[in-house]
Amino acid sequence: MLQVEHLTMVYPNGTVALRDVSFTVEDGEFLVIIGLSGSGKSTLLRCINRLIEPTEGRIVWNGVDITAADQADLRRIRREIGMVFQHFNLVKRSLVLTNVLSGRLGYIPPVWSLINRFPREDREKAFQVLERVGIPDKAFSRADALSGGQQQRVGIARALMQDPKMILADEPVASLDPVLAHSILGTLERLNQEDGITILCSLHFLDLVQRYATKVIGLRDGRLVFQGDAEDIRQMTDERFKEIYGEEAERLSA
Amino acid sequence: MIENRTSQQPVSILHSVLSFFVPGLGQFVARQRARGISILATFLILGWLSIWTIAQRARFPDLELSRQLFILIFLQTLALLVFLTASRYLMARFLIKETSSQTVLGIGLGLVYVIALLLVQEDLLTTAGSAEELKTIYTGTAIFAAASLAAFYLWQVADAGKAGAQPEEHPPISGGIALACLVIFSLGWNITGIDLSKAISEYQDTQIILRRIVWPWQAAFEYETVAVETEAKVQAPCPPGATGPAVQEPVPGEAWISVTPTCGEISRRDLATGSLQLGTELTITGGGFTPGATVEILWKNPIGNPFKPRGVGETEITINENGGFETKLNIPEVVIPSTAVGDQIHTLIVRQESGEVFTGKLSREIKLALEGILETIMIGLMATFFGVVFAFPFSFIAARNLMVPISAPLSRVVGGLVALIPAIWLAARGTGRVALTLGGLEEAPIQIALVGFVLIVGVGSLGSRLGASAFDLVAKRLSEIVGQVLTGLGLGIIGGGAGYYLGLGFSRGVVAIPVGAEVAALSEPRYKLGGAILFGLIGLVYGFLNAHKEFSIGMVIYTISRTFMNIVRSIEPLIWAIVGSIWVGLGPFAGTIALTLHTIAALGKLYSESIESIDHGPIEALQATGASRLQTVVYAVIPQVMPPFISFTIYRWDINVRMSTVIGLVGGGGIGFILIQWIRQFQYDAAGLAVWLITITVATLDYVSSNIRERFV
Repeated sequence: MLQVEHLTMVYPNGTVALRDVSFTVEDGEFLVIIGLSGSGKSTLLRCINRLIEPTEGRIVWNGVDITAADQADLRRIRREIGMVFQHFNLVKRSLVLTNVLSGRLGYIPPVWSLINRFPREDREKAFQVLERVGIPDKAFSRADALSGGQQQRVGIARALMQDPKMILADEPVASLDPVLAHSILGTLERLNQEDGITILCSLHFLDLVQRYATKVIGLRDGRLVFQGDAEDIRQMTDERFKEIYGEEAERLSA
Repeated sequence: MIENRTSQQPVSILHSVLSFFVPGLGQFVARQRARGISILATFLILGWLSIWTIAQRARFPDLELSRQLFILIFLQTLALLVFLTASRYLMARFLIKETSSQTVLGIGLGLVYVIALLLVQEDLLTTAGSAEELKTIYTGTAIFAAASLAAFYLWQVADAGKAGAQPEEHPPISGGIALACLVIFSLGWNITGIDLSKAISEYQDTQIILRRIVWPWQAAFEYETVAVETEAKVQAPCPPGATGPAVQEPVPGEAWISVTPTCGEISRRDLATGSLQLGTELTITGGGFTPGATVEILWKNPIGNPFKPRGVGETEITINENGGFETKLNIPEVVIPSTAVGDQIHTLIVRQESGEVFTGKLSREIKLALEGILETIMIGLMATFFGVVFAFPFSFIAARNLMVPISAPLSRVVGGLVALIPAIWLAARGTGRVALTLGGLEEAPIQIALVGFVLIVGVGSLGSRLGASAFDLVAKRLSEIVGQVLTGLGLGIIGGGAGYYLGLGFSRGVVAIPVGAEVAALSEPRYKLGGAILFGLIGLVYGFLNAHKEFSIGMVIYTISRTFMNIVRSIEPLIWAIVGSIWVGLGPFAGTIALTLHTIAALGKLYSESIESIDHGPIEALQATGASRLQTVVYAVIPQVMPPFISFTIYRWDINVRMSTVIGLVGGGGIGFILIQWIRQFQYDAAGLAVWLITITVATLDYVSSNIRERFV
C-alpha cells in the first residue's frame, strides 16, 4: 500500500508544483493521474521514487518511509519501483539488450556491472522479458533503430527487469499514435492483472482513462481535485472530465 | 561621412555648439547619455593614446611637449576640415542641389582633405613647432592621428545636432566608429613599425633564404668528390751516372703523364740572401684528361708526403681541347736529410678532381630531420595518450549537470574534511617510512610515488568517510544541537587553518608590495592570527547555523576543477615547455610534459562540455532503477559521449603534433629543436628540409584526422 501524505513540492525558482497532496493506493491498483500539463503529474510521480526531493510531506510504501530513506536504502527501494517515461529515456546508441539489462543494475555488484558483465540468469531474463513485451527479435538492434512503440516496449522491459512491485508511468503513450497507445497500455494492464504490479500512470485521454483505470486522481495547479474509482470514471461525463481537466481535454477517438 | 546632413533633416545648432566645446555634451544634454559618455571617453582615450604614441616612438621623447604639439596639429587639421565642410555646405546649398551629386560632393570632400593634408603637412608642422621641438614627436603619425581625430570630432558635432533635434532617434554611429578606427589604425601603423617602402625595396633579400627553404632537396642527399691521380717518378738529387726512372709512355684510353728528364737537381734556398736557386727544369706532358678541366700538380717527397710546389712554376693547369697539356716545372725545394741513403725517388702527381657526384645516399641532415619528425609525432601521440588518461575521469567532475545533484548535509561534509587532515598527515608519515626503507627518493622514486599515491587516496578517502559518518551519527542519534556545535567547531578549525594561510599570503603577497618583504615580515604574525580568528569565527557561526542544511559539495568540486582547467589552459604550451625543460632537462620528455598538461586542461573542458550537453533522460531512467552514481555514469553518460570524445581526442592529437613542432623551439625536443638550431647556424637548406617534413606531416594528419572525425560526428 502506498500512502502519500501532505505532499508539497516547491522548486528552487519558487514554482509550487504540488500543494498538500494526500491519497492512498492499494496494492494491485491501476491508478491513473489526470491533469493538464503543468498540473504536477510528473512531479508527483518523480517524488514517489525521489528523483525529485519533496519539500514537505511523507510517502510511505508498505510501511517504509521513502522520504526518510538514506541513499543506500533509497537505491534498494528504487529497484522495486519501475519507471516508464514519455520520451522512453533509452540510451539510443546502446543495444536494446544493454538498455534492458541496465534495469538490473540495482541488484548486481557494482564492480562487475562497470565492465558490462551481467550474470547469466539476468541475460536469460532479459530475453524472456523482451519476449513478454513482444519484441524478442530486437535484442541486438541499437535502441535508436526501433520505432516509437518498440522503444516504449524496451522501456517497459527495462522496468520489468527490476522485478517491480510498482511501476510509475509518466505519460507513457503521449508520444505514440492511438493504436500503439492501446497496445502499450494493454501491456501495462496485463502486468497489472497477471503479476499484480501496482501501476501509477498519468494519462491525457478520457477514453483511455475509462478503459484502463481502476482508480483515478485528478490534479489541478498542484492540488488534488478529484478522487474516484472505476465506477465513478465510467459514469463520468465529458463535461465533468473537462471540469477537472480544463478545456483541452479530449477523447482519443475524437 | 564627415557630415551627412541634407536639407530635409532638422538640426539643433545649440546641441552642436555644446558638443563643439565638450565632445559628447550635446548628446548627453539631448538625453542620449550613453552615447554622449562613450563619445567623450573615445575622444579622450584616442587623444591620449595618440600623444603617448607619437612621443614614445620619437627620437627625443618629451610627453609634455608632444601634448602641446599634438593639440596644435589637431586644431590646425580641425580648422582645415571646418573650412572644407563649410565650403561643401555652401556648394550644396547654392550650386549642386541633387542628392546624388551631393553624395559625390561628400566623397570629394574626403579626398580633398587627404590630398590637402599631404600637401600642407610640412607647413602644418613648421607652424606647430620649431625643428628642435618637432624632434620630440613622430611627425607622420601625429598628422594622421590628429587629422582622423579632427574628423571624429566634427562627426560628433554633427551627431549632436541631430540628437538635439530628435532625441528619440539614434542615427547610425558607423561613421563615428569608422573615424575612431582610422585613428587607431594610424597609431597601430606606427606602433607595429610598418615600413612599406622597405618591404618593397628589400624584398629580394628574402630570395637568398627562401630559395633554399622552398626547395631544399639537394641537401637531402650526399655528394662525393672523386679525384683521378696520375703519377710519374723523378730522381733528385742526381748523383753522377744516375739515369733516373724510366720515362713513362702514354697509355691509350687512360690519363697519362710523362716527365723529362727523370733525374735532376733540387732547388736550393740561399740562406744568406733568401733567394731561391732553381733546380733542374722538368718538362711535363700529359694526355687523356677531361678537356677544359683544371688539374693540379703536387709533389711527393721520398718519404711520401705530398705538397704543393711553390715558386717553381705553374701548378694549376688547364687541359686543352685534346685532353692533353704541356708545362714546365723546376724541381722544388725538398729537404733531404744528410742521413738519407740510396736513390732519392720523388713522385710528381697530376690530380684531376671531378665535380660533386650524386651518390644516392641520404645526407646526415635528412636523417636528423626524419628522426626529429618521428620524435615530434611521438611527442604528440604520447601527450594525447596521457592527456586522455587524465582528462577522461577529470571531465566528469567538471561537468555541471553531473555535479549539481551531489550534495550532503554540511555536518557530513565538515566531518569528512576534518577527518581528512589527520588522514593525510598519517598517509604522509607512512609514505615517509616506506621511503626510508626503500632507500630514499633518489633510490626508488617511482615505487615511493606509487605507495604515496595509494596511501593518500586510500587512507584519505577512508578517513573522510569515517569522519562524515561519525558527524552524521552524532547529529542523528545524539542530538541536533550537539551535531550543530560539532559542525561549527569543525568548520571553525578548517576556517581558522585557511585563514592562517590567507593571512600569510596577504602579508607576503599584498602588504609586502608597497613596504618590502623585510618590513612586511614584522607584521606577518598579526595577519596570520587575524586571518585565523576571522575565518575561524566565520566558519564556526556558518557551521553552527547550517549544519543540517544540504551543502552542494558537487558545485564546489565543479568550480575548483573548472578554475584549475581554465588556468592551465590559458598558459601557453610554450611556457609549460620551458617549465618542463627546467624540470626534466631539454628534450622530448619536457615537450611531452608540456603538451600533456595543456591537453588535460583543454580536453577536460571539451569533454565536460559534451557531457553537459547530453540527454538527461537516460540518467533519470537509470537512477529510477536504483543504479548507483557510478553505474549511471557508465550506462547512461559514457555511451552518449563516446562519439564526441573520440572526435575531440583525434582533433587534439592533430593539434598536439602541430604544437610539438613549435615546442621544440624552446627545448621540448622533436623537429623544432633541430630546426631552430639550423636556422641559427644559417643552414637554410637543412632548415628547409625540416619545414618540408613538418608541412607534409601536418597536412597528412589534417587530412587523416578530419576523415576519421567525419565518421563520428
